[in-house]
Amino acid sequence: MPQTATEKILSRAMGRPVRQGEIIYPEPDLVTVHDWYVVNFDKALQDLGVKQLYAPDKLLICTDHEPVAVSVLAAERQRQVRQIVAKYGVKHFYDTGRGGHGHVFPMELGYVKPGMFVLAYDVHVNNYGALGCLAIPLVTEITDVLACGSAWLKVPETLRINLSGAIRPGITTRDIADRMIADVGADMADYSVMEFGGPALSSVGIDGRITLCNRPIEIGVKSTIFETDAVTFEYLKGRATPPFEAVRSDPGAQFKATLDYDLGILEPQVSAPPTPDNVVAVSQVAGKKIDYAFIGSCANCSITDLRDAARILKGRKIAAGVRFVVTPGTQQIAAQAAEEGLIEIFISAGAMLTAPGCGPCAGGRISPIAKGEVSINTGTRNDYGRLGTREAEIYLGSPFTVAASAVAGKIVDPREFL
Amino acid sequence: MNFTYRGRCWKFGSDIGVDGDLMPLEFAMQRETRVEVLTPHTMKGVDPSFAGKAQPGDIMVAGKKFAQGNPHIQGLLGIRGLRLGLVVESIPRGSLRNAVNAGVPILPACPDVTRHCETGDELEVDFSTGRFLNKTRGEELRFAPLDRTLLEIIAMGGWRPALAKRIAAMGRSG
Repeated sequence: MPQTATEKILSRAMGRPVRQGEIIYPEPDLVTVHDWYVVNFDKALQDLGVKQLYAPDKLLICTDHEPVAVSVLAAERQRQVRQIVAKYGVKHFYDTGRGGHGHVFPMELGYVKPGMFVLAYDVHVNNYGALGCLAIPLVTEITDVLACGSAWLKVPETLRINLSGAIRPGITTRDIADRMIADVGADMADYSVMEFGGPALSSVGIDGRITLCNRPIEIGVKSTIFETDAVTFEYLKGRATPPFEAVRSDPGAQFKATLDYDLGILEPQVSAPPTPDNVVAVSQVAGKKIDYAFIGSCANCSITDLRDAARILKGRKIAAGVRFVVTPGTQQIAAQAAEEGLIEIFISAGAMLTAPGCGPCAGGRISPIAKGEVSINTGTRNDYGRLGTREAEIYLGSPFTVAASAVAGKIVDPREFL
Repeated sequence: MNFTYRGRCWKFGSDIGVDGDLMPLEFAMQRETRVEVLTPHTMKGVDPSFAGKAQPGDIMVAGKKFAQGNPHIQGLLGIRGLRLGLVVESIPRGSLRNAVNAGVPILPACPDVTRHCETGDELEVDFSTGRFLNKTRGEELRFAPLDRTLLEIIAMGGWRPALAKRIAAMGRSG
């Protein structure tokens, strides 16, 4: 019987064909846990009497939500994480200042391959779908996986998206991803895996695929996955160990729906408060005065994103009264940005750089927002309170739009700056 | 476990946020999971007096995308602390998992249910069969119940007791 890519990956994990809708307990190839939750799962395992992890070699732990501890409590937690890692014999540990963002660097370092099945604590792990990997966030029940090897999962339906058309100048995959989640909507997306393919697939690079994989989680998808192609295999070369399998749904596989999505949207898009899928054309919010801008988060922390921001900022200054934070996603991306001269452009413009990782987007632990302020950034969410106080407004946009708005001191259409 | 809840309806709209509406974000940031700490703050962002008014056995009825946002469990643990049932038009998957984990009986997919009740109505809901009875209106509706596997987890008291049982069965402790 023809299968979707997701059904194939889960069938391989179960050692038998699975069908949509059934509850299964598949064992993952890789498990990721971030920061403070390490302390929580350790406490839970201790309370439950579990002394050894089910599969310590499959676990990757990283420190990315608060890489530079900004409180004594955070420093204490980091110390505990190191002790816990040693206690369980976790080999794949990326401490502060090592890997960077856990939703990104494992792809750079070859941990993620097409056809793999990954379970994670944190929600945006579906970034790995950019490489044809099925990665599903579990949050609390990651402890089940660490103790017993698996957790319950309902075999999801697949929502197939065929990308077509071409991206216009001044528009990025962020604009397209945000417009798409607003157009598709939570009612259609809920519980499904969103699978990308189609005639324009090869025109989207891995960095763009990461952004397209990242955004749909905000409308309730279970995960996101790209079909593999030459772009995938070129990226994997020199990073991961071959062989690399091709990932695609069988002809005749059963999709919940098949949608065609044209990459050629006409205008940059902005998510207005209070939810990421409240997406409007930039012209509708242009002129809104801003206090705070940042580039970063697992949605937009790639070298492509930093290049986009630098293209706007080169030879320009951040507006008076606006602060601007740039968070490269990983150690590698930060090093590459330095090599390409992007860091110098940011600093000359008046921006501040933070350690690789989530940056301010992780709840505003680093560089929060003050009461009554307005931010535009490339973060994942714009709920009231996401950057600290509830009494602030958060707009989300592309690296172009965020950088241009930081220069103008208000939300602007970035195409005037390109 | 008795899956039939009889109590008052507390009706809410769509897009109730898991952080801020359902529970102040600070508790998620602190990874606070003690039910007794969280319970008094349940729904604080929407109705600060809610936790003082709701009675065990009451039923929260909400519109689409209940508990939307980053799937932090704290708000669902608060609902558990109040011993409420949950009937929603839709709920994102992370929050559905958290409802099961918190041991909150839920009917997760009840289209238009908010049109069939108002706050204060007397409701009787059987979460194992999906039967929704509005006694005030004399109206009965049927929705799909949760899968049996998930009802068993809720019956065991949620994630923690269910995991303890599994660990024992697999001989993973000690």
